[in-house]
Amino acid sequence: MKRLLPFALIAIVLGAGLLTARYLQNSSTEPPKPSPSTQSISPTTASPAASVVSNAEPGAEPAHSHGESSALVTLEEFGDFECPPCGMLHPILKGLEAEFGPSKIRVVFREFPLVPAHAHALAAARAAEAAGLQSKFWEMHDIIYEHQKDWHEAFDVRPIFESYATKVGLDLDQFRRDQTSEIVERRIFLDGKRAHSMGVTGTPTVFMNGREIPFESLAPEKLRALINSELAARR
Amino acid sequence: MAEVSQPVNARRAAVIYGIAAFVSLIGLADSIYLTVEHLSGRSVRCTITSGCSEVLSSPYATVRGYPLAALGALAYFAVFSLATLAAFGYKGMGKLLLLLVSAMFLTTLWLFYLQAFVIRHFCQFCLLSALVTTTLLVLVVLSQRIYART
Repeated sequence: MKRLLPFALIAIVLGAGLLTARYLQNSSTEPPKPSPSTQSISPTTASPAASVVSNAEPGAEPAHSHGESSALVTLEEFGDFECPPCGMLHPILKGLEAEFGPSKIRVVFREFPLVPAHAHALAAARAAEAAGLQSKFWEMHDIIYEHQKDWHEAFDVRPIFESYATKVGLDLDQFRRDQTSEIVERRIFLDGKRAHSMGVTGTPTVFMNGREIPFESLAPEKLRALINSELAARR
Repeated sequence: MAEVSQPVNARRAAVIYGIAAFVSLIGLADSIYLTVEHLSGRSVRCTITSGCSEVLSSPYATVRGYPLAALGALAYFAVFSLATLAAFGYKGMGKLLLLLVSAMFLTTLWLFYLQAFVIRHFCQFCLLSALVTTTLLVLVVLSQRIYART
């Protein structure tokens, strides 16, 4: 009897584990994503693509991009300014841009605010797009990401974003008007449409030359290795 | 100092293995909680530290699409099983347990480094797991040393 007792204990703990596994199965049938878009700005139904996405919507034109259009590697990020992993990816991408240079990699940013999961994501996207109308998208993009912790728990983010607008040298009156303009709304909508057509369901989702990079490969060393192998393949 | 008899040492080692089995349940509960939260897409809120969301939604929190916490749960279950068997006198289990817990401890050191220097945020649930793994290593080494005297 004593010899069987440890196995009985193990079986009890295993049973508890299996019950939990059943709970896990019930609570989620989707693969894990850092910031799942329960209700994104556009409906999302398709699964993430493993190969080059064909028939993708063009998204807002011109796209916000860094780097030369002839660069061998294009990284296209679908981001939400309020999502913490997007905020963490921001310095990684900046570091890789500086490391490889504009002739090798081009970074494109697409708006994918996750609402209502992130209360201020849409306001942040509008602020960045409004800055873009004054040719200061990247300056605003950087300051919003770099100060994510300062505003994401704020009740009213408008004065905070206005202070950023002043900091990056925007015409404040125009910035205020542009945030609610149709062109800004349309740009966000078109990026959302592109995200939908490419099967994006969460943020950050990054495509390298049209192929989705798995989320766990967004760590700097893995991303660097992927870029290097893509560069080697295209030379 | 009076010499302790071999059966007494064996009993002491068994008690320590029993404590290790109990401690592993804390790690198991912690990692199951994190796995549930990860898979359900909820963001884990820290009450002591402030970086749960940053740590648990970082690329280091998943391995080939699977939550790292799930692997942790499997490891803690294995520790519980081996420690329970060792406590009941099954031979060879203590050495296997030492190997497993050492590997877990090395992983813990790596994860601690990532939190401190790469992610630059700490998650209290991950720190609890680190504490549990460290405690397990101490207990298993201690019981191995006591058992070696029998």
